[in-house]
Amino acid sequence: MKKVLKTLLGVWNTKTVVAIAIGAALFGVLMNFGGIPVFTNTRLTTAMIVPVIVGSMFGPVPAFITCFVGNTIADLIGGWGFWFDWSVGNGVLGFIIGLLPFYGAKINEGIFKPVHAVIYAITCVVGNAIAFGVITPLLTVAFYGGELTITFLQAFAGGLANTAVLVIIGIPILYALARRSARSTNLVMEEEKVE
Amino acid sequence: MSTPIVEFKNFGFKYKSQTSATLHDINLTINKGEKVLILGPSGSGKSTLANCINGLNPFSYDGVITGSCKIAGMETKNASIFALSKVVGTVLQDSDAQFVGLSVGEDIAFALENQSMPREEMLPKVERAAGIVGMTDFMMHVPYDLSGGQKQKVALAGVLHGDVDILIFDEPLASLDPRMGMTAVELIDRIHKEQNKTVLIIEHRLEDVLHCHVDRIILMNEGRIVYDGVPDKLLASDLLTRYGIREPLYIMAMKYAGCELFPNQNLSDIQHMDISPFEEKLKKQHMVDIEKHVPKIGEEILKVENVTFAYGKNPVLKDISFTIRRGEKVAFVGKNGAGKSTMAKLICGIVRPREGRVLMNGSDYMNLSIKEIGERIGYVMQNPNQMLVKDIIKDEVELAMLLRGKSRKEIDEAVKEALKMCGLYPMRNWPISAVSYGQKKRVTIASILVLQPEIIILDEPTAGQDFRHYTEIMEFLDELNREYGITIVFITHDMHLAIQYTDRAVVFSEGEVVADDSVFKVLSNDQVIERANLKQTSLYTLAMRLGLDPEAYIEHFINYERMMRAHGKQAAD
Amino acid sequence: MENRLLINLIPGETFLHKLTGKTKVRTFIILLVFIIMSFDMRLILPLFILGIIGLRSLEPNWKTIKYFFIVIGAVNLLNIVLFWLADPDIGAYWCGGGHTVLFSLSGRFYLTAETLWYLSVRYIKMITSFMVSLVFILSITPSEMAAGLYSIKVPYKICTIFSIAFRYIPDIGRDFNNIKVSLQTRGVELDPKKVSLKSRLKQNVLILVPLIITSFDRVGNISNAMDLRGYGRGKTRTYYSEHEELKADKVFKVIYTILLLFCVYWIITQNIMPQTFKMWYPFA
Ligand SMILES: Nc1ncnc2c1ncn2[C@@H]1O[C@H](COP(=O)(O)OP(=O)(O)OP(=O)(O)O)[C@@H](O)[C@H]1O
Ligand SMILES: Nc1ncnc2c1ncn2[C@@H]1O[C@H](COP(=O)(O)OP(=O)(O)OP(=O)(O)O)[C@@H](O)[C@H]1O
Ligand SMILES: [Mg+2]
Ligand SMILES: [Mg+2]
Repeated sequence: MKKVLKTLLGVWNTKTVVAIAIGAALFGVLMNFGGIPVFTNTRLTTAMIVPVIVGSMFGPVPAFITCFVGNTIADLIGGWGFWFDWSVGNGVLGFIIGLLPFYGAKINEGIFKPVHAVIYAITCVVGNAIAFGVITPLLTVAFYGGELTITFLQAFAGGLANTAVLVIIGIPILYALARRSARSTNLVMEEEKVE
Repeated sequence: MSTPIVEFKNFGFKYKSQTSATLHDINLTINKGEKVLILGPSGSGKSTLANCINGLNPFSYDGVITGSCKIAGMETKNASIFALSKVVGTVLQDSDAQFVGLSVGEDIAFALENQSMPREEMLPKVERAAGIVGMTDFMMHVPYDLSGGQKQKVALAGVLHGDVDILIFDEPLASLDPRMGMTAVELIDRIHKEQNKTVLIIEHRLEDVLHCHVDRIILMNEGRIVYDGVPDKLLASDLLTRYGIREPLYIMAMKYAGCELFPNQNLSDIQHMDISPFEEKLKKQHMVDIEKHVPKIGEEILKVENVTFAYGKNPVLKDISFTIRRGEKVAFVGKNGAGKSTMAKLICGIVRPREGRVLMNGSDYMNLSIKEIGERIGYVMQNPNQMLVKDIIKDEVELAMLLRGKSRKEIDEAVKEALKMCGLYPMRNWPISAVSYGQKKRVTIASILVLQPEIIILDEPTAGQDFRHYTEIMEFLDELNREYGITIVFITHDMHLAIQYTDRAVVFSEGEVVADDSVFKVLSNDQVIERANLKQTSLYTLAMRLGLDPEAYIEHFINYERMMRAHGKQAAD
Repeated sequence: MENRLLINLIPGETFLHKLTGKTKVRTFIILLVFIIMSFDMRLILPLFILGIIGLRSLEPNWKTIKYFFIVIGAVNLLNIVLFWLADPDIGAYWCGGGHTVLFSLSGRFYLTAETLWYLSVRYIKMITSFMVSLVFILSITPSEMAAGLYSIKVPYKICTIFSIAFRYIPDIGRDFNNIKVSLQTRGVELDPKKVSLKSRLKQNVLILVPLIITSFDRVGNISNAMDLRGYGRGKTRTYYSEHEELKADKVFKVIYTILLLFCVYWIITQNIMPQTFKMWYPFA
């Protein structure tokens, strides 16, 4: 139980704080300068990949904070104003896709196998369904009022875009990152064969 | 009088992730008020030693200590990083990473904020520390407004508060222009004297540190101390060359001349040492006839004509003209922020001139795309991590060819050739994460070489690297130039590099070219040196003291040096 | 990069700029609660006007701001049009069941006075929310924000995340540009007009991997530099950027305290207590 809690929370030393900060900064930058518009209010953004990385290194709670703070930072550097309904939704999604250490995917140690990719894809779908299918629309209606179906559809479009990015771009990136941090042990010099 | 403040006794340290210890049998005592320089090849454990003093080892990097290390009477393994931070202040190499505040004032105040000091007490302390390093007028500046040197000063101010007795500098000079580097050395010296601190400097650039007096040098190799004593004795010995440390230029010159060096000759201070015993030999050496090094130079391949460029309103490059010929080795030198990197980007077509034009092989490059220019001019950035996008060496090298839709056969041949040129062929299937920094740099060069460019531009190829990697990279580039006739442009702050490996220097200052001439002419021209924040090398000082013409002296030295290197090569082959 | 950020890194000179971070953060949070709780033109309209005054007092660069206003205005307009299309009678529930048709296009699409009222309240509410955030963003610096959050008992390690993130955003931007440039010179076409969505996705992978690696590479160095200067030593910390409270801060304190009490009162009486929800509708 204690161990689960520790994996959830991560270890809060200076390194964690800085990693979350850098993650949030990356999130903010990608959100503002690395997106393609899809629907009103939503852009296809690659920023969501950041909490996955933070999650794999430090656990889901740091991933949640990266997402939540990153979203707030994106709002602070862009001019779009604060929309906490979306920040919270993003945070929840960050938490769910940040669960990587729980199923054994450790990107910074080079461990990411096909089975992890499958589980990861499932968490992406489930996470988006919960975050943008339930939490964000409910909060939007509670905060600002509005028509539930339309609000739901908008959040859903955002969630769909997110899922697409997380799966289509995310998996190759995770593979690439894992391969780049895997230090092979038995490397051999291959001289050219003399013909 | 001499109270020990750092005491290592039979000390050893092993990182948790390593199988064997990194430091062995360290016995070292440093007294209060001493100024000590730590030298050693890369990986010899200099930073590890420093981190055992400031507490990063073992409190931030896990590891096992054997023996004892006492800092100001505290046994470090029983202390904490916080307790030690009250006694030891550390300035790291990376001036960007250690600037954690959003403004100069905030960064200087960082340590005080962490102590929960009320703001009214904090302000005068910050003011005072900024005053010591001369940054009082910049309190509200943000980090991007500052040059690398100014950031280093702020980092220094940040550790000056309170009662830190020991200051550690881990490679403080790396990316500073020569003048800034000198200013930093002088500043450290002033603080050492005025504040009566104990100072430890780790630095590869021995000649630059010797600009001011140091009491003691510690030489490390493979985790052990191999020399601990006064600088003069070390300079007179052959230990430096044996352990792969770059000797100061004037010491090299004296050794070339066959002078016998003795520890009692005040060798570390070129201004004041008694030169009379060496005068005759040095002058005789200068008379020796050696064949002049004549670079093999072909036709004009790049011409920059009256180019002006600006990112925003203020021009960064003003009315610049120069030409580059096939087979040349050119250095772009000058102040931090003078526009050298911008010039490189302009040549590669990443930014385009507002006025003027750039000619490639005689025709204007305006209608060529970045991609097309990329086939003729390769641009190698300072940080290889920003260029490497694939995870296997071979994949990285073939990327540019693949993107250009070349046939498999063509690609395989070109890739093989490039990998061989860079000595990476046997490692072609290795993951990039498994190779060292210097090898990563080679991978980036190989990935540019596949396109068989005519010119390669390297932005600070050696910054932050030790002498061994430095030599490795430079010899390799020299060979590319000799064997394949590739034109090479270096952007560098290292005058040593310019002297040893280039024929011509284009000197930038505030967006203008203030000189374009052979290296020895540039480095003996006071006016140019002044305007471009360069610095006279010790050869200049030596020539002046001998009453010789510096220009001729430096030229002679360069030719002799090249000859020696060529011979060394032949002998080795 | 730094000149493309909306938030200032160095405090400005106007009245609102000179307040302490504590005042700004607290006022902003209470105002957000105020906006979120109220579906009432009588509460929103005054704040809307105050927002305009506040924004003007900051002397912002209108050129950049205009763009955001247009986009936010248009997006929310589209939103309420969609709401109307989805359910033309949406106002009836909120305004107590009235059904005053103003004009009608067909049996399905008609406009009632109640719907018009309700949608305008929501529209103004969204714009006010946007404007209040904008005033906050333009008036505060990241360091003041960290200090302000700390003053409302947010753990300082969380506050640090804000200031460190802003410190390194320009560095990340610079890395991003360098990586892009190096790919371009090697032959990657990055002009969005010239490449398909699919290859754009591929390029994203090419750029993101090195960007993520270089960004996280500096974590070790930064955290060392912080540890060496005693970060995380104590349970509390102080802030260099948080100057002493001025008279204006004290006035604001009185105002936001009253506002907070009002919010509590309003939430209890209007949002929790009533069974049948109904917003203020003057034409009932
Ligand atoms: N955090 C660490 N964890 C494990 N091993 C380490 C760590 N830091 C350094 N080492 C190892 O310890 C050895 C000495 O490294 P150190 O950084 O002290 O060398 P250095 O003399 O400072 O070299 P340089 O001049 O390149 O900075 C190296 O072989 C390195 O691999
Ligand atoms: N992308 C950019 N946008 C705006 N200004 C820039 C940009 N890049 C550089 N500058 C400015 O242009 C000037 C020249 O910068 P450049 O990087 O070319 O200098 P440099 O000579 O390479 O300096 P250093 O030796 O420190 O690397 C500087 O004042 C810098 O602030
Ligand atoms: Mg080191
Ligand atoms: Mg540069």
